[in-house]
Amino acid sequence: MTALAHDTRPRRKRSNPALRALKSPLSGRIAFPLVCLAVWLVAIEIVTAVWPFAVDVLPRPSQVFSFMWDELTGDTLAPYNLYETFGISLKRLGIGMAIAMGIGTVIGLAMGLSKSVNAFFNDWVVAILAMPNLAWALFCSLAFGFGDVGPIVTVVLTGIPFVIINVREGVRNAPTDLYDMARAFGVSRSDSIRHVLLPSLMPFMFAAGRYAFALGWKGLVVAEVFGGEDGAGWTIKFWYDAHRAHGVIGYALFFVLFALLFEKFLLDRLSAYFFRWRPAVSSTDVVEELFEGPPSAATTASAVSDTTTAAQRSLTQVTAGPRSEREGGDDTRRTHDG
Amino acid sequence: MTTVAASPPTTDGPRVSEEDRVRAARRRDRIRTIFWRLAGYAFFLGLWEFASGRLMDETLLPGPVDVFRTFGDLWASGKVPGAFADTLTRIGIGFAIAFVIGAAVGILMQNRWLSGFFRDAVTIGVTTPGLIWALITAIIFGNRPWGPLIAIVLTTFALISVNVAEGIKALPKDLIDMAKAFGVGVVRRNRQIVVPHLAPYLFTGVRFGFSIAWKVTVLTEVFASSSGIGFEMRTATQLFRMDEFLTWILAFYVFALFLEKVVLEVIERRFFAWRDTIKS
Repeated sequence: MTALAHDTRPRRKRSNPALRALKSPLSGRIAFPLVCLAVWLVAIEIVTAVWPFAVDVLPRPSQVFSFMWDELTGDTLAPYNLYETFGISLKRLGIGMAIAMGIGTVIGLAMGLSKSVNAFFNDWVVAILAMPNLAWALFCSLAFGFGDVGPIVTVVLTGIPFVIINVREGVRNAPTDLYDMARAFGVSRSDSIRHVLLPSLMPFMFAAGRYAFALGWKGLVVAEVFGGEDGAGWTIKFWYDAHRAHGVIGYALFFVLFALLFEKFLLDRLSAYFFRWRPAVSSTDVVEELFEGPPSAATTASAVSDTTTAAQRSLTQVTAGPRSEREGGDDTRRTHDG
Repeated sequence: MTTVAASPPTTDGPRVSEEDRVRAARRRDRIRTIFWRLAGYAFFLGLWEFASGRLMDETLLPGPVDVFRTFGDLWASGKVPGAFADTLTRIGIGFAIAFVIGAAVGILMQNRWLSGFFRDAVTIGVTTPGLIWALITAIIFGNRPWGPLIAIVLTTFALISVNVAEGIKALPKDLIDMAKAFGVGVVRRNRQIVVPHLAPYLFTGVRFGFSIAWKVTVLTEVFASSSGIGFEMRTATQLFRMDEFLTWILAFYVFALFLEKVVLEVIERRFFAWRDTIKS
């Protein structure tokens, strides 16, 4: 090949780092609230100019944000301030979740271990599963009046079917072969249960807890709206009755923040702690409702937003090694919602 | 399977084959399952009836017998079809819009920047209780029809987006590339590869989305409507007619369950029979 006077190798263009940052998904994420704000302001202008009677009240962003700031600093017109309100609701949620996990685990274990018990309860678990939490909330508010009992019972009723189903799947997926092997090698019964069966059950229990939390919270809010005298749901109803749209929207934003904070951060941390014995998979595993049989995306999204698959992963990891060793792993698929 | 004689040689009675024993065991299993299933129904319905009369006031918790009687009365008075029609129309329209928006967002999320853009929207959509949307739209739009519709759309679109996004991400790229290499046209490629692959995801989204949509619709009707199931429920609660309240919610619930389990599952089975369902 004749030598050329200049270098004709294809050269890679160095892109502008600022432009690269602008194209990254993170900038998209930041752009979203800004776009929402812009749309909000534009909508107000359009509505007040074109159809003055189309909406009853459309609050300005400044009203909502100043309301939220007042709430955060404890200055409020409602009987309880923001922190007390959420504290009360969380307390009820905690009690309800504990009861739901307790009873649900027992029934789930029984259903997993015995086909007769499964046949006995199954249709009713499905029935309670599909019941809207509005119905429980209205019924409990009428039956138990004001106070803590109504919301707590609603949380229990909304959460229990998911706990039962997840625990049942956990039992069905228990690695009996590992257990047999451990016993065959002379490991004591309690040790075998503790080191083989219980860890295999943990992801399911954790998924059950996450479902109980997410759905229990939704049920709790509805219950408090209809039959409370304090708590987050009641407070948002308070602002609704006072016809203060900025109050309703402000509190709704607090709800969103609360859900994001709790479900994303706290529970992710917790699951990382509980599953630190597991080599690779990143934590938030949610069990599918196997009797429905959909792809994992659907059920996971219906409760929490993670898309990693069920605890089968944990078991296959125990038996067959980390996923990255076995195959290429589809971790690249999950990057969009890590 | 085994070729050895099923049982040690006995001096009395005919030899029972392995198949017969398996068949008998399966029949026993089935009978046992059916028995316990019926026992469950008897137990829970009985418990309900018992709780209605003895544990709680009859007006607070009407028993199953009361509920059936009330349903007969309501049906005779002709209120049922009207309320059902109103609610179902709302669900239909709301869910259709939610599906379109959800699918669009799901498709758009294939782009990296847009996936970052919509990510929080989807998270918020999935985690916010439907009640919140119901209250916000109720206070802004009052009784006007597009309030409930917006609430339904906001509650449901995120779930459909997630399903569509997952479906598209999992498209068999190798098959599509192979089809392209062999010169298969775009239309035929989409029809034979893309659509059948996406169909289960879409279907799952429809099933779960419908399940959420009907619950949110009833909820918004409680706050901001003058017709429909939710409105009837609210009226019954305010008049403290618990039997009517229970009747409305149970009637609609049974109907929705029928739609979800029977209709959709039958469609799913028929259309996806070609698939080997790996129930995970």
